[in-house]
Amino acid sequence: MVCYQCGRRLSENDFCTGCGADVSLYKKILSASNRLYNDGLEKATVRDLSGAAAVLRQSLKCNKNNIEARNLLGLVYFEMGEVVAALSEWVISKNIRSQKNIADDYITMIQTNQSRLDTINQTIKKYNQALAYCCQDSKDLAVIQLKKVLSYNPKFIRAHQLLALLYISAEEWDNAKTELHKCSEIDTNNTITLRYLLEANNMSMPEEAVKGSGTKKKASREAIRYQNGNETIIQPGKTRDLKGASALFNIGIGVVIGIAIACSLILPAQIQKVKAETEDKARAVSEQLDAKTATIDEMEQNIDVITAENERLAAEVAEYESAEDNTAAVDNLLMASSVYLQNPEDLEGIANYMDMITLEEIAQSSPAFADLYESMLLAAGKPLGDVCYEAGHTDYRAGDYDKAIPNLLKAFQYDRENGEALLYLANSYRETGETEKAKEAYAQVIELFPGTEKANRADDYLVEINTTGN
Amino acid sequence: MINFEEELKKFHPSLEVEDAEEAIYNQDLTDMTDLLIKMVKKVDTEIESEE
Repeated sequence: MVCYQCGRRLSENDFCTGCGADVSLYKKILSASNRLYNDGLEKATVRDLSGAAAVLRQSLKCNKNNIEARNLLGLVYFEMGEVVAALSEWVISKNIRSQKNIADDYITMIQTNQSRLDTINQTIKKYNQALAYCCQDSKDLAVIQLKKVLSYNPKFIRAHQLLALLYISAEEWDNAKTELHKCSEIDTNNTITLRYLLEANNMSMPEEAVKGSGTKKKASREAIRYQNGNETIIQPGKTRDLKGASALFNIGIGVVIGIAIACSLILPAQIQKVKAETEDKARAVSEQLDAKTATIDEMEQNIDVITAENERLAAEVAEYESAEDNTAAVDNLLMASSVYLQNPEDLEGIANYMDMITLEEIAQSSPAFADLYESMLLAAGKPLGDVCYEAGHTDYRAGDYDKAIPNLLKAFQYDRENGEALLYLANSYRETGETEKAKEAYAQVIELFPGTEKANRADDYLVEINTTGN
Repeated sequence: MINFEEELKKFHPSLEVEDAEEAIYNQDLTDMTDLLIKMVKKVDTEIESEE
């Protein structure tokens, strides 16, 4: 200590031995400055930088010439990332004591490295820009800028704090705590850091805030949380044991859910499978049906062919039968002819064979047969017709019309000139109710025997029949 | 609960390297010893004037 008035070294007395000035108070002020410096040094040693800075500023307020305090303050500022403030203190320190001053080395260290100086300048500019962004409410840009600042100067506490504040504002508690923990590593007892950290802890874990923010580890029913550096470890706690009805209920719910899942996953596939099988069976049945239908169509075609063949064959058979019939008719005609040749008077014998030849056979016969038959009629037809007429007329008179018809028919067949036989035949048909045959016979009488009494009578009977029929 | 706006007011722009010189010149380096000396001189002046 030197006297403030004359600059003489002071003794242990409360006055200056050189000029006699009262230095008691002056000594106390210098002692206080030194004491504060010691306090600051102690705080700086335990990395309480903000506390050390405050105390060292007080020390310098007491004694601005306390070079050690000023140099230490510069160091503290430099460690906090406040490079310009540090330079300021060191420059002032160098001005106060230019020789044997470590501040000179500090200044040289910074100023000789131009790139480092530029980096420091850029860092400060970006920090100021980030602060401007915050004031303009461009928080995203501010975050980006601050991250760049911290990449250049990781010890810039104010940048860390501002970034933490932005994270707190955005409710990104974990990020905020990360930044604040970094601050704590640089400056352990920074008030702003501690306050922000308390806020982040309270917001991220409210139940801890109720109990107190001092504990780091908390055992809860659900989980155990604790901090390990920058990481938050969450450990699952003890689980509750299932008991009684609640266990059964939970199991029941699980079973129901499992069944529902099985139904939703398995059932559609099964349904699809059954559908596919059904469709395959239907397809097979349809194919069989088509085959059967084709077979049926083929069979029907065969049936048609066979039916046609059958009809053809039946026609042939009928033709053959008719031929046989014709053969029989020819035989009868020949026999009749033979009897006539043997004995023309044997009318009975001739009639026996001639009666066996029907009108249908005559119609279907060959020309030779027809000629021979006509010849026989010419030769023996009238006598045969008379015989038949007599028999038929007798039956007609007796009222036995059914018996009379064949004889009268034969009579007319043998003798086409016998109109009476035809008339009586028509009458017999009329009497027996065979109206159509009666009409044909009457018409035949009118046609073959016009202008005769028989024709008139036939006409009358015909009108009578038609009137009765209408 | 931290108020972002209120907290932001506490953050001031950092001095740039170019501004360091001006900041140093403008810094008030008055300390307690200066005040003491000033007070002593004042007292001495008053005493001399009384005499």
